[in-house]
Amino acid sequence: MSWAYFWSLFSISLHAMVPITLTAVGEVIGESAGLFNIGLEGILLLSAFTGTLGARAGGPILGLLMGLVTGLGIGLVFGVICAYWKGSQMIAGVGINLFALGFVAFGLQVLGSPGFYTVPRDVQLAPIRTSVGSFSPLIPVALLLPFLIHWFLNHTGVGLRIKAVGENPEAADVAGIPVELTQLLSTAVGAALAGLAGAYMSVSWLGSVTKEISAGRGFIALATVVFSGLRPLLALAGGLIFGFFESLATWIQSLPGVKEAVPWQFISMIPYVATLLVVAGVIGRVRFPKALGVPYRRE
Amino acid sequence: MTQGPGASRPRPFPHKRVAEFLLRAEGLTKVYPDGTVALSGVDLTVRPGEVLGLLGENGAGKTTLTKILSGLLPPTAGRILTPRGPVRFHSPKDALRIGIGMVHQHFALVDTFTALENVALGLGRVNFSLLRKKLERLVAETGLRVPLDVPVENLAVGERQRVEILKVLARDVKLLILDEPTSVLTPVETAELFKFLRNLREQGKAVVFITHKLKEALAVTDRIVVLRRGKVAGEVSTKETTAKELARLMIGVEVEPGRRPVELSLEAEFSRAAAPGPKGEPILMVKDLQVRSDTGELAVRGLSFELYPGEILGIAGVEGNGQTELVEAICGLRRVEAGEVELLGRKVTGRPPTELYRLGLAHIPEDRWKYGLILSFTVTENSILGLQRERDFQAAGFLRARAIRGHAARLVREFGIQTAGLSAPAKSLSGGNQQKLIAGRELSKDPKVIIAAQPTRGLDIGAAQFIRELLFRLREEGRAILLVSADLDEVLALSDRVAFMYEGTFTGIVRPAELTAEAVGLLMGGVKAGKG
Ligand SMILES: Nc1ncnc2c1ncn2[C@@H]1O[C@H](COP(=O)(O)OP(=O)(O)OP(=O)(O)O)[C@@H](O)[C@H]1O
Ligand SMILES: [Mg+2]
Repeated sequence: MSWAYFWSLFSISLHAMVPITLTAVGEVIGESAGLFNIGLEGILLLSAFTGTLGARAGGPILGLLMGLVTGLGIGLVFGVICAYWKGSQMIAGVGINLFALGFVAFGLQVLGSPGFYTVPRDVQLAPIRTSVGSFSPLIPVALLLPFLIHWFLNHTGVGLRIKAVGENPEAADVAGIPVELTQLLSTAVGAALAGLAGAYMSVSWLGSVTKEISAGRGFIALATVVFSGLRPLLALAGGLIFGFFESLATWIQSLPGVKEAVPWQFISMIPYVATLLVVAGVIGRVRFPKALGVPYRRE
Repeated sequence: MTQGPGASRPRPFPHKRVAEFLLRAEGLTKVYPDGTVALSGVDLTVRPGEVLGLLGENGAGKTTLTKILSGLLPPTAGRILTPRGPVRFHSPKDALRIGIGMVHQHFALVDTFTALENVALGLGRVNFSLLRKKLERLVAETGLRVPLDVPVENLAVGERQRVEILKVLARDVKLLILDEPTSVLTPVETAELFKFLRNLREQGKAVVFITHKLKEALAVTDRIVVLRRGKVAGEVSTKETTAKELARLMIGVEVEPGRRPVELSLEAEFSRAAAPGPKGEPILMVKDLQVRSDTGELAVRGLSFELYPGEILGIAGVEGNGQTELVEAICGLRRVEAGEVELLGRKVTGRPPTELYRLGLAHIPEDRWKYGLILSFTVTENSILGLQRERDFQAAGFLRARAIRGHAARLVREFGIQTAGLSAPAKSLSGGNQQKLIAGRELSKDPKVIIAAQPTRGLDIGAAQFIRELLFRLREEGRAILLVSADLDEVLALSDRVAFMYEGTFTGIVRPAELTAEAVGLLMGGVKAGKG
């Protein structure tokens, strides 16, 4: 295997790591506050689409911003339903996924390209070019963010309060912490990161948007969150594992004879199955906030 | 008699003392969503520089009232006044802002956080090293010693109680509300807490103090308000009242027929046969037991004892000396590091709890929310927790609803559990009634060995007396009881033998009659007794 080829696999790994990591660390914040958002998949899909619209209208930065804002908006709606109205988090999350499926299929239709739309080159996010290849600027962001969030959750007063709300909302309430607001903001910030991840896929990494662009990454991110036990650095590890297996799958497909012997769908399954296996295998005694998924009522 | 505020506090209207109050509630009424009327038209005035006692039977509405005063619950009707006018609390935050803090009956602590973090929670921006200093000073002042850097879930209930109190004290409140703070404190700790409360009073602050122990109410309060079934039954000045009068106010003038006279329990006097002494083979044997705490330290260090049928063996000592771990290990809830547990002649070390229960072990846990109840389950469901596999309650894999409801109804009747109905969630019971439900369920199991940790915690005098008498009756029937309690009076009054636990070992096992107050102090403090 040549160096160039190795680097290209490495580059695939890193690029595939980004959406999982961003989505997972975002969800770590939301779940720390006690809200469990199963609608990440839908957020990825929707914001991949709206990111494209943004990029078309005003360039790649606006595209990423659009994705972020889309995620934030959905997160706020989800937060209001679940934190303030005490709605079922499961149902609200499923609702997001269903909405996204319908909306994006319809939106692509309106764009005049049912099922597939290529983001024009000039509005894609320009990669950072190095001697070993070009990388999306969001890769360093995804590598650094988990450390930042780790610090935020464990070493700041706000982080302490977020975790208190997820662990024991009554205790937090009694201590004078606004439980609902904390939950709303945490889940919204988490969803915004998923939105950024979605826009990254269409505007930066893949350069196109399809009905299937999210491809289960939202669910893999959820699995990664479980595996991490709500530790951002382990969520990053989960993202890296997924990225590694995605590039491994690419490599296997390129081996002579493999394409003919095994349908490509099976090879594309590798990163998912492998990530789930690793995630399931490594899970020891992870602990989740006691009040995760349970709406808080005073009386 | 209310005392005037401390000299340091400026008094704008020195002559109008009557008008001076810190907080006043008028016509407070609370109807819970399920229709339970917990309070109806309660008026209460709290003045600066006083300790106000709040008494009442289980379910009288004490917790509900104080939750409203501290902003956790909105009243259905009525209003709250401060000297500046009426206030509306939307959350505890609003109450804290004007200096009202509360220590809850059921701890409001984040289990995974350390004591330090729990204290820091409510303080907004905090400097941890400054906070640590402040806490260390508070600990020295109040005698409420707790490890600051261990997650509170690894602390014993008594220690968690101390954290709960420190948490509110650290906020410099003007009005401190304490909902049964002493139910798991030892007498020494209680005395230190009282010293501190008196100190607060000197500073012109106010304290609302809820307790079921009349002795405590008489010792520390200036004025006492008694609640009965959601109404104010009376208000007395502490100096001019007696335990008898308080008891009468709590229960009502017309003592209902069939009700035990309350005075009996006031002095913790019990009529009982002379201790029968060990009969036959020990029913529970613990040999060289070693158990680790959650933090990994050895909490029980090579403990051995035997429990005989027909005796109550009490374990006294300051909470956090390994009692919790000992009980959990015996009940199969914690890994045994070394040593053995024998139940009815069978080695049961490391066996799962269900097997032990089937052998005839009953366990009243000290932490009623962790092991005792499933809060969101109904009273009926909770009444058969651990019994669901019994033949009486199950047929061909299906639960027998009628039999179970009958059982639940019997418990409710026998133990006087106040509830909106058999299908009310356990969460909606008052603290004391939750305790009755657990104690009732465990003691009605027809057990051979009963491990009772703080069995009367939070019970009013009538209910506590009932449980104590029941324990006696069970002992007379030849069952064996291991009693762990922070209430020294209770341990000394009930036990045939008392073991004093200190840092994971027994400093001595003695007969209560042979004890002097001095000896108790020494044994609690870790000085070994002459004989084992
Ligand atoms: N969340 C709730 N929903 C419905 N009813 C409730 C709820 N909380 C308390 N109650 C009821 O309100 C009444 C008063 O309860 P409260 O907890 O104030 O009593 P308490 O005086 O504190 O008793 P205890 O000494 O046992 O703690 C009880 O009848 C109780 O069953
Ligand atoms: Mg109460």
